[in-house]
Amino acid sequence: MTLELARLTKAYGEFTFGPVELTVEDEVLAVLGPSGSGKTTLLSLVAGIAEPDSGSILLDRRELVGRPLEDRRVGMVFQEGALFPHMTARENVEYAATSDERVAELAATLELEGVLDRRPATLSGGERQRVALARTLAADPDVLLLDEPLSSLDAPIRKRLRDELHDLFASLDIPVLYVTHDQRTATALGDRLAIVRDGDLEQVGSPSAVLDRPASRFVARFTGTENLFEGQVIERSESGEEVWVQVGDVRFRTAAPEVAGSAASASHVSGAADSGSSVTVCIHPSRVELEPLDASVDGGAKQANAVTGTVGRWLNEGNEYRVDVDVEGGALTLIASVRPPTFERLGVDDGSEIRALVPPESIHLIPGSRVSR
Amino acid sequence: MVTEPTGSTDSTQPAKSTHASRLGSVDWLSVALVLGGLLLVYYFAPLLSLFLSASPGEILGRLGDATVRSAATTSLLSASITTVLATVFGLPLAYWLARAETPWKNAVLAVVVLPLVLPPTVGGVVLLTVFGPNTLLGGTAAAAGLPLTRSLAGVVLAQTFVASPFVVVTAKAAFESVDRTLEHASRSLGKSRWTTARNVTLPLAGPGILAGVTLAFARAMGEFGATMMVAYYPRTMPVEIWVSFQSLGLAHAYPVAILLVVIAVAALLVLNTVASNPWR
Repeated sequence: MTLELARLTKAYGEFTFGPVELTVEDEVLAVLGPSGSGKTTLLSLVAGIAEPDSGSILLDRRELVGRPLEDRRVGMVFQEGALFPHMTARENVEYAATSDERVAELAATLELEGVLDRRPATLSGGERQRVALARTLAADPDVLLLDEPLSSLDAPIRKRLRDELHDLFASLDIPVLYVTHDQRTATALGDRLAIVRDGDLEQVGSPSAVLDRPASRFVARFTGTENLFEGQVIERSESGEEVWVQVGDVRFRTAAPEVAGSAASASHVSGAADSGSSVTVCIHPSRVELEPLDASVDGGAKQANAVTGTVGRWLNEGNEYRVDVDVEGGALTLIASVRPPTFERLGVDDGSEIRALVPPESIHLIPGSRVSR
Repeated sequence: MVTEPTGSTDSTQPAKSTHASRLGSVDWLSVALVLGGLLLVYYFAPLLSLFLSASPGEILGRLGDATVRSAATTSLLSASITTVLATVFGLPLAYWLARAETPWKNAVLAVVVLPLVLPPTVGGVVLLTVFGPNTLLGGTAAAAGLPLTRSLAGVVLAQTFVASPFVVVTAKAAFESVDRTLEHASRSLGKSRWTTARNVTLPLAGPGILAGVTLAFARAMGEFGATMMVAYYPRTMPVEIWVSFQSLGLAHAYPVAILLVVIAVAALLVLNTVASNPWR
């Protein structure tokens, strides 16, 4: 199955969605964006809950625009499940199912056997979403849409259901659009990510491409790249693969990364890298390594950009520590996220001197420094 | 100068607080209880008095009376037909009003509510200008053997005008209480609008719809003003009460009045059991 959106637009008063161009194959596309960015509008248009002002939605070359919901074969899992409250879990699934075998099969897959005879009001949030998913899949849809199905669940249940969804999606051979505002869920479930902002697709690509090579400052910030600095290209190697940028008094060496989809990224870097041009330097906190000043400089460290600074403050964020390193007397603050063992080994404390290492291939450049997007 | 306002504020403060405590000493809860209680007595005492004013034997005897039985038959039959008509014609309109997103909606709703606020006799006058024997419609129907005035059809026309808005207004609220997402969910599962309405919307709105239907039936049973104008004959129970009172005196109106009270209480019982919606 191939879902193709072409020049799709929809206006709601001041808010305009699109024009959006998007092709989704048999894969999971995680649609990530802040609330009000148009994620749900996208799903509504594909499902047929809302009709676009213009453009087309093709499912295997079959035009969906103008068709009523019931003729689209587009399944949707709603935010709170939208289970029919007057039916038991079983009746909800049976309502959509083509056969009893399918009900039994889905009940087994989604571990629903124990709750089938209960009404939605007596189910937990996680159970409700499982039933909703079973009901949607029971109709054998050609496309699966999910609208933040995990957002109202508690963290442990959310994580568990997320892992199960991951396995379930792998067994489906249809386009899946998964809307969320949570970057972790998006990267965990999505084969590709689509970042939505103000009704437009800001960037579409593999999770690593979007996270490591954000196309704009918005994408960088929204996906957790907290280190964004305005800088200037001062030199580039002949091949264009190495670029030196100046941020305040600090000089960083950057290099084309050796990650999947690096071809596009490399050209992205070189395109921005004419000497003298302004760039935004992006460094994800997880890519910043910390080491004590007296550490021996080994081969790896020699390669990396090394800056010395003082610890401004640190926060325990549960599974990692966030350390602010003030460089050049605080003119530049480099944020590093550090795993607890490393943090404890370093004996980090406020005001302690420390060295931050940034591998050249972990630095991403976005053309223009004052561009708001 | 600067200290004066502060000083005066200070001096008024004790006075204010005494005033407040004096107000506070009134037991407002008791006052509210007395006011509400009096109103309840005002509702209930006349009803009790009605039941005490005629002996059970007298009532039963009068209920056997041919005119009373004929009036009861006419009322039950006409109100039943009216209720069916109001439901069949009212539900689609109620659903449209609940779901439509057009600016016309409020104008349409105003038209629906109009018969509710219009004095029933005026409703009768209005109906006679369309269905009266000297109008095109009334004349043709009468010539065809189906007179629209002084007939059961006339009673139904009068009752439907006055009672059907109850179905529309109450069912509209019931439909609105059904989350649209549930309808979208049903249709995205491949179910048609009709299947969705039958399996999702109607069951969930059912208790509210039934409330509207019951209200319409009760209103039709009690309809007097418009019915008097359009169809004095065959006599419905409210008309029979009026005729008995006028020609024979108040005591003769009691038995039918008691019968109507019993029917009204039955309607209330239905409403209260219906209102206990287990799904909300």
